[in-house]
Amino acid sequence: MGLTGLEIFKRLPKTNCKDCGQPTCLAFAMAMAAGKAGLDQCPHVSDEAKEALGAASAPPVALVKIGTGEKQWELGNETVLFRHDKRFEHPTAIAISVSDTMSADEISAKVAKINKLVFDRVGQTHSVNLVAVENASGEADKFAAAVKVAFDNTELPLLLISEDTAAMEKALEVAGSKKPVICGATAANYEAMTALAKKYDTALVVKGTNLSELADLSEKVIALGHKQLLLDSGAREVNKVLADQTQIRRQALKRFRPFGYPTIAFVTSTDPFQSVVDAGIYITKYAGLMVMSSADPADILPLVTLRLNIYTDPQKPIAVESKIYEIGTPGADAPVFVTTNFSLTYFCVAGDVESARVPGYILPVDTDGISVLTGWAAGKFTPEKITEMLQGCGIADKVNHRKVIIPGGVAVLSGKLQELSGWEVLVGPRESAGIASFLKQRWSA
Amino acid sequence: MILIGERINGMFKDIREAILNKDPEPVRYWAKRQYENCASYLDVNTGPTVEAKDQPAVMEWLVKIAQEAAPLPCCIDSTNPEAIEAGLAAHKGKAMINSTSADQWKMDIYMPMAAKYSAALIGLAMNEKGVPKSAADRAALAMEIVVNADANGIPMEDLYIDPLVLPCNVAQEHGPEALEALRQIKMLADPSPRTTMGLSNISQRCNNRHLLNRTFLIMSMACGLDSAIADVEDQELLDAVAAANIMLNKDIYCDSFLKTFRQR
Repeated sequence: MGLTGLEIFKRLPKTNCKDCGQPTCLAFAMAMAAGKAGLDQCPHVSDEAKEALGAASAPPVALVKIGTGEKQWELGNETVLFRHDKRFEHPTAIAISVSDTMSADEISAKVAKINKLVFDRVGQTHSVNLVAVENASGEADKFAAAVKVAFDNTELPLLLISEDTAAMEKALEVAGSKKPVICGATAANYEAMTALAKKYDTALVVKGTNLSELADLSEKVIALGHKQLLLDSGAREVNKVLADQTQIRRQALKRFRPFGYPTIAFVTSTDPFQSVVDAGIYITKYAGLMVMSSADPADILPLVTLRLNIYTDPQKPIAVESKIYEIGTPGADAPVFVTTNFSLTYFCVAGDVESARVPGYILPVDTDGISVLTGWAAGKFTPEKITEMLQGCGIADKVNHRKVIIPGGVAVLSGKLQELSGWEVLVGPRESAGIASFLKQRWSA
Repeated sequence: MILIGERINGMFKDIREAILNKDPEPVRYWAKRQYENCASYLDVNTGPTVEAKDQPAVMEWLVKIAQEAAPLPCCIDSTNPEAIEAGLAAHKGKAMINSTSADQWKMDIYMPMAAKYSAALIGLAMNEKGVPKSAADRAALAMEIVVNADANGIPMEDLYIDPLVLPCNVAQEHGPEALEALRQIKMLADPSPRTTMGLSNISQRCNNRHLLNRTFLIMSMACGLDSAIADVEDQELLDAVAAANIMLNKDIYCDSFLKTFRQR
């Protein structure tokens, strides 16, 4: 949304001098909001107002890039509070931490484990995104040494956690070439940390002890000319983090500039179950980057899956891969069902075939992820496409019969399909819930 | 859609007589009845037959009786600032002031009053020069109201701008301008001011008034209308609002949407 008349009017000089060609400042603001006038037509507007009005047309949450090369990850550019309003744009980056109190061997072993946190979900690979190195020892040399071990052992971007400027400087000498995230600036050290972030042109975490201090600090860092920020309200208890994350996103969408950046959240629980649940809350509630310490694949897989689900586009139907699916362990005389690759449709059919307790094959035809009747109406679920699937997917080699069961809702396709494919077409029930009784009465290979 | 029941108005004969005879019964009857018919506010107007000096006392009486009879806030409707203030003082909960125009002297009276009583305020997009003809002129006056409301600390959710509706038999060309003005008003500020209209004006002295009213209401809702002062006795109007709420994705669809709308 562009600027509103009221926002523009508040920044105008209110002289009503008519130099812009409009009778009043109010009329000029209205003309500007309607796109019929430009700010340059007013000779008296202040530089400050110009910048504020320019910034107001920028996206509410800035885009921040982390790391370099193939493993680079983008955060921010979010525009909504709820995913059903539009979509969440950039999935939460997951960072796993190591501490500089660990030995070099322990660090490299854990980093190796982190590197392996790559999972296959619905035909795509999803992984964790950063290795976080914590300066728990409080010593600059130990920190730099730990950062070096991490840097040498992973392609992932690093997150350097230390509030000690000297330690950060040493660590950046080791790892600065790959733009690690600096974590971070506080009220005490922000000038030096900002200088480092500017020097290495990298993202900087700004940490306040509460929301109002965070807003102050973020403004100060922006004033120093650095705009690749991540926000940390300082909260660590789940309820407080949830409240702060909500407030930061909500205010950002109202164009409160100091909060117009992605956030960082830290999982602090030591109980593995609790930490996964906490992390799940941060993924669903607006965290741009989330740091946790577990590198156990059993802890990370559910989080990667949740992240994938939350950040799918609700306006695009979710499709399953168009291929042969085996339910149970079907033999050569098992029934073959045709449906569409809309995930809701597929999982309904798969669930009902499973509960019929007859092993079978399901062939979801690629309809761009739309349902049986929608696909039929849109010309995407046709005898031609079903024939193509029957002949192309290799089902003929798996079964010794040539019978295919189609959804009852598209019974009219049966004649043409039989002609084209050479398979005998059985018209199944309209609802997949009827599959069990259909098989009992009608199926023999 | 926030419906403001129009019926407790001294322009109607039964209310006029109720005021003259100090008989609370007709006021009670209409308060209850409009409450049952989905009104969110009760418009309360003494009518022009009450003398100016008596208006504050009559307004106070009307507000008290109406609020005793139905659990609804009132939309205190008068051109007399003293009558409005008397109504506000007697009112329980968040009232609505009906109305100010974009004339500075009126805004200087009603805006501080709205702020003092935390009341909502209807602002008419017109001034002493009359009702503007074009949508752009209406929006310009609406902007004056928005700026003044903002300066008085009235939140935009409490400001209801009325683009001004005129009878379609004699001022037909105003219809589309009022609709376009609604669209523009919703873009004046963020969060946007709310909008309202005196709906029944569209059909003054016309045939098929109910058809004209509900057709215009639905068109206006599509342009961003949030509220209307209307005849809530009109069941077809309520049906149309319920349907429009569904189609604007404001209410979640269910098969019994007409019934659900009335149960809220």
